[in-house]
Amino acid sequence: MTILDVRGISRRFGGLQALSDVTFSVPKGQIVGLIGPNGAGKTTFFSTLVGLIRPDSGTIQLDGTSVVGQKPHKVAALGMTKTFQNVALFAESSVLDNVLTAGLLRHDVETARKEALICLDRVGLKSVAHKLAGNLSFPERARVELARALCTGPKVLLLDEVMAALNPVEMQEIMDLIRSLRDDGITLLVVEHHMRAIMTICDRILVLNFGRLLADGTPEQVANDPVVVEAYLGRSMEAHK
Amino acid sequence: MKRWIAILAVIAIAAVLPLLLSPTGYWIRVLTFTLLFAAMAQVWNIIGGLANQTSLGHAAFFGIGAYTSTILVLKFGISPWIGMFAGGFLGGIAALIIAVPTMRLQGHYFALATLAFGEVMRVIANVWTSLTGGPVGLSVPFVPPSIAAYSFKQLLPHAYIALIALIIVTVIFEAIRRSAMGYRLRAIKENPAAAEVIGIDTTKVKLQTAVISGVLMAMLGTLYAQVAVFFDPDTVFSAASISIRVALIAILGGVGTAIGPILGALFIIPVEELMNDLFSSGAAGLSQLIFGVILIAVILWRPRGFITVFDSLMARFSNKARS
Repeated sequence: MTILDVRGISRRFGGLQALSDVTFSVPKGQIVGLIGPNGAGKTTFFSTLVGLIRPDSGTIQLDGTSVVGQKPHKVAALGMTKTFQNVALFAESSVLDNVLTAGLLRHDVETARKEALICLDRVGLKSVAHKLAGNLSFPERARVELARALCTGPKVLLLDEVMAALNPVEMQEIMDLIRSLRDDGITLLVVEHHMRAIMTICDRILVLNFGRLLADGTPEQVANDPVVVEAYLGRSMEAHK
Repeated sequence: MKRWIAILAVIAIAAVLPLLLSPTGYWIRVLTFTLLFAAMAQVWNIIGGLANQTSLGHAAFFGIGAYTSTILVLKFGISPWIGMFAGGFLGGIAALIIAVPTMRLQGHYFALATLAFGEVMRVIANVWTSLTGGPVGLSVPFVPPSIAAYSFKQLLPHAYIALIALIIVTVIFEAIRRSAMGYRLRAIKENPAAAEVIGIDTTKVKLQTAVISGVLMAMLGTLYAQVAVFFDPDTVFSAASISIRVALIAILGGVGTAIGPILGALFIIPVEELMNDLFSSGAAGLSQLIFGVILIAVILWRPRGFITVFDSLMARFSNKARS
């Protein structure tokens, strides 16, 4: 069953074609990796999916409903949200309040608080629930981002570099978490620069280069695709060996 | 528990205080206006503090309230109590009309747009002579004193009405702050894009806040009209003595907190009156000059408002109680 169907998405910023005719569809419960060199359009693409950026052309269907032209809060209500790559927490609020606020999309304050604690527990941050979000370390803040997005109760969750700057143990924890979210029926799109992590957890990988979809396949197919290796993977794979 | 005892004690003191002042004297008037301005600053605090939208046009709603209830008494003999709600309704509509185009503006741009709106309302009130009496102003007609007619021989009942109004708007402010709406407003204030992405309809929440603030400000306009008895467009639609003053009170006291506007009003209104009292016989403008210098000194001393003095006192007090 297709949960996310993207057809012909293009977006131009001035002279830069940030996204060019991006088309793919994702069945429910898949973990899809989105990779590509810096500036390939990964973050722009996520922003377009959740409604922060309006595409010049193309259609996006979430669980059968068109979301192009909808405001982000509407897209979130329909079941798709994202984390922010450079972390966009409510820094002056507590960690708990950050996550609780997301829970208000589907619950009252008291239920949202309980949900928020469950989400914080899943990312392993229950112990810092009452700290100010702005006082956490960068990797911790990225996990609060994840918990906050999770607390909106999404069908499709877009994770933009939540593993940046994590140590191997923490990275393993987040990978386990991503798998358990998939087991809960959530479909995940993951942008990540850490190749080994992405090759391990993803069922499928999309490669974006200059706003264009370069390849779409299993990790093995993509890793052995000469076009991909030339454009991006080769050097990066070497670097991570 | 302790908190509630403290709150009840403050209310009790506030309730007794008017009785200690001479009922025909000058200070009961100062107290009444202090309470009224605290309430107005609290209402401003809903949009200025919780939504972080610095409105410099709240006189628009205030004046609409004062004019609506007074015109209804003058033309139709309708009690100001009812006129107050009619004014609130119109204040809400005015807030909606100004909020729709200005909501996307932030910071200085929002402040300037709302300032302009307040000025437009002042000009309209000056020009629309058939309805407002124009620059001459309106006098609230004298009717035999009764609670139903909102007419009293003395200032004492007005002081209590202002106190009750302050309590009500403070409860509303605090209820919003703790509700789902309060969480949403904090999210919007800190990161509007992230707020949208996690499902907050930022447009709707901002509009709701503007309307609530506009309705309440207009209702307080009626209270003012009944105390002042006479007013003209330049008083109730004044940018300086209404719009900017309520913002100043809230900011000086501690923006975004329930206690801030109350502390701010308790300082600004009496000090301003005292300066007028002491120095108005001196050179022209001397009292304003001294008042201005005091304000600058206070802002330099406590840039985040009197609330910080209050907080550190509370911290010291509770530390002592523990040791």
